[in-house]
Amino acid sequence: MSQTVLICDDAIFMRTLVRDILLQAGFEVIGEAETGVEAVAKYQQLHPDLVTMDIVMPDMGGIDAVRQICKADPDARILMCSAMGQQALVVEAIQAGAKDFVVKPFQPSRVLEAVQRVLA
Amino acid sequence: MDAAEYAQLFLTESREHVTAVNQALLELERGASRPEAAGAVDAIFRAVHTIKGMAGAMGYTGVAELSHALETVLDRVRRQELPLGGVLMETLFHAADVLEQRVEAAVRDGDGPPPATLMASLRGFGEAQPETDTSTWAIPSGDTASWQIPDRDTSAWAVPDRDTAAWQIPATERGRLVRVRIAADTPLRGVRAFLVIQAVSKIGEVASVEPPLEQLQAERFGEHFTFRLLTDADVATIERTVRSAGDVAQVSIEDGAVATGAALRPPGASSGTRPSQDRTRHVRIDVRRLDNLMNLIGELVTVRGRLTRIATEQGDQTLEEPVLQASRLITELRDEITASRLVPVSNMFDRFPRVVRDAARAAGKSAELVVDGKDIELDRSMLDEIAGSIVHLLRNAVDHGIEPAEVRRAAGKSEAGRIQLQASRDRSAIVIKVSDDGGGIDRERVLQRAKRDGLVDAQKTDLTDDDLLRLLARPGFSTADRVTELSGRGVGVDAVYTRVRALGGAMSIRSEPGNGTTVMIRLPVTLAIVRALLARVADETYAIPLAHVSGTVELEPELVRTVKGREVLLLRDDVLPLLRLRSLVGLPPYEQRGAIDLEQAVVIDLGDRRAGLVIDELTAQDEIVVKPYDATREGLPFFGGATLLGDGRPSLIVDVSSLL
Repeated sequence: MSQTVLICDDAIFMRTLVRDILLQAGFEVIGEAETGVEAVAKYQQLHPDLVTMDIVMPDMGGIDAVRQICKADPDARILMCSAMGQQALVVEAIQAGAKDFVVKPFQPSRVLEAVQRVLA
Repeated sequence: MDAAEYAQLFLTESREHVTAVNQALLELERGASRPEAAGAVDAIFRAVHTIKGMAGAMGYTGVAELSHALETVLDRVRRQELPLGGVLMETLFHAADVLEQRVEAAVRDGDGPPPATLMASLRGFGEAQPETDTSTWAIPSGDTASWQIPDRDTSAWAVPDRDTAAWQIPATERGRLVRVRIAADTPLRGVRAFLVIQAVSKIGEVASVEPPLEQLQAERFGEHFTFRLLTDADVATIERTVRSAGDVAQVSIEDGAVATGAALRPPGASSGTRPSQDRTRHVRIDVRRLDNLMNLIGELVTVRGRLTRIATEQGDQTLEEPVLQASRLITELRDEITASRLVPVSNMFDRFPRVVRDAARAAGKSAELVVDGKDIELDRSMLDEIAGSIVHLLRNAVDHGIEPAEVRRAAGKSEAGRIQLQASRDRSAIVIKVSDDGGGIDRERVLQRAKRDGLVDAQKTDLTDDDLLRLLARPGFSTADRVTELSGRGVGVDAVYTRVRALGGAMSIRSEPGNGTTVMIRLPVTLAIVRALLARVADETYAIPLAHVSGTVELEPELVRTVKGREVLLLRDDVLPLLRLRSLVGLPPYEQRGAIDLEQAVVIDLGDRRAGLVIDELTAQDEIVVKPYDATREGLPFFGGATLLGDGRPSLIVDVSSLL
């Protein structure tokens, strides 16, 4: 069964990159969000199997979005997308409920491995 | 998406972000002390950060470096460590200009290093003052505004005590000693180590982490880190749990028992993320690799045809035997490769109940979906290709098939409509049926519309199912008055029909007033290789897919009759329309060269429609590799693809569905 994904990133470029990687791997991208607020709303609306979440977004960042999503659904499966040098933030995101992370620039194999772990 | 498209997207989006940077800079300049200023700094920061991320992904290190330096300065500004003075503002404006140029240049001419003078001045602003209190680096929970921490200053990673308190369990000598090595090329190794600790804390109590967790998170550890784990779990479970955190190169648990597996793999191989016992059963393969295998085996099958032909012509026993053996092996190989691409339709069908529910909700109707034959397997690409069409048919069934509840009640039906999705196997084809128990297609309306468009004779009073399909499959033909949100403007059947045809499949419709509609789609199991009869017509060879062949007959004169000006074939108790491939492709009629030199007819079928297709002679039965061929553009609509024969000559593949 193809699993559903919500991609949250404020850059179309990054969303496209992630989407291409996940589509290749047979996932179904059912939604995209550009802000944390939108991410929370779309999660509640779409109930995706997986969320990819950028850390830095306008209008509520990724970590607060993770916190809100996990508060409503402790089983949410969220993969953080981080840049180099954001370890402390990634740790915070994981404490907030994110399951794993990938670091930009993305390597498709790493993204898919992380996705498998998140969905395991 | 290819590299050029990404570059274009990068350019478009980076331009937008540079524009945002400039706008925010202007805002800052108007009044750095005003409340909006903080927002402006954040906005610039985000835009620059986004450009940095994209540039990194594109491999534009120069742009990434420049953005990073700029980001570091901005971070200090928003921490209020750096006052926004005139010189800094000028530098920021200049940096924004240079960033814009570098972005454009990177896409146009390739990436280059950023100007040294600008980098030097940015670094100057970015340097933290020596007296900086490290406590300012602490992560304020929930405040993402002060997130960025300079890479070089590792002391900055200190995490406030309250966050780590949970980990500070008194050291103990009990429990298993676990030693973990994180793969060297892992990004953010510290966070990975943190994930390991988090994972194992779910199966036991973690004690005496060495080096301490704060240092681990800060990536201040060598190759290994160790911890004690108080748990009832066995060694295998512990190892599996540790590895589940990902990027774990090696785990050893207590008395020196090294869990190998991933550790033995060569560097550069993807890092081991699963316990070794799983690896022997399943391997994940890139779909593109499977596609390549399929293409290669396709070519091999073509060559086999040629090889077999040559061996037969030579009549050399010593050649024939190994050729036969190779041929058998190629068949096995092909079967294995084909099988490796098969996935059960449940992969896709399982998400359809949701589709129907949502469509029904949007239409204010009630409908349930019953799915049958979930285990039937289909080529993965084929399944991907057809999914959209099935969704379309399901939505059509909800929107146009299932009647509103009051109509159903009045007709004595249950209020909730019933839609059935069924997959089954028929010879080498897969049949997918979408049926509803709704009102059926309104033939009268279709007829009116067809008359209006001049598509049928004005005297026609009745439409057969085949007429229906023919009309509905016309691009743009629609009887839907109301545009529904989901199935669009009634453009549906034609899109589905085109897609099915493109996949080498066939489609039919059965609709009964009051009792609902069934759409049936027949698809080959795989896109690439099919068994076909090879038929000669004059000196051309055509391929007829076996999936649509129910038999062949010699065309004895007494089998042919003319009814209402049309030739028919008498086949036992049946009367079938007779089609002559010669006249279809515009060749002169067949010339018989003797009493026994008869034409042959292939009985083609599609569901319950059948016909006899007359050809000169059947030459062989073979596996053919289907190459796409745009029938409509080439003019003759009854060919559904092309193939290369064993002797290297091209051959067109007859599209049976278009003949019936």
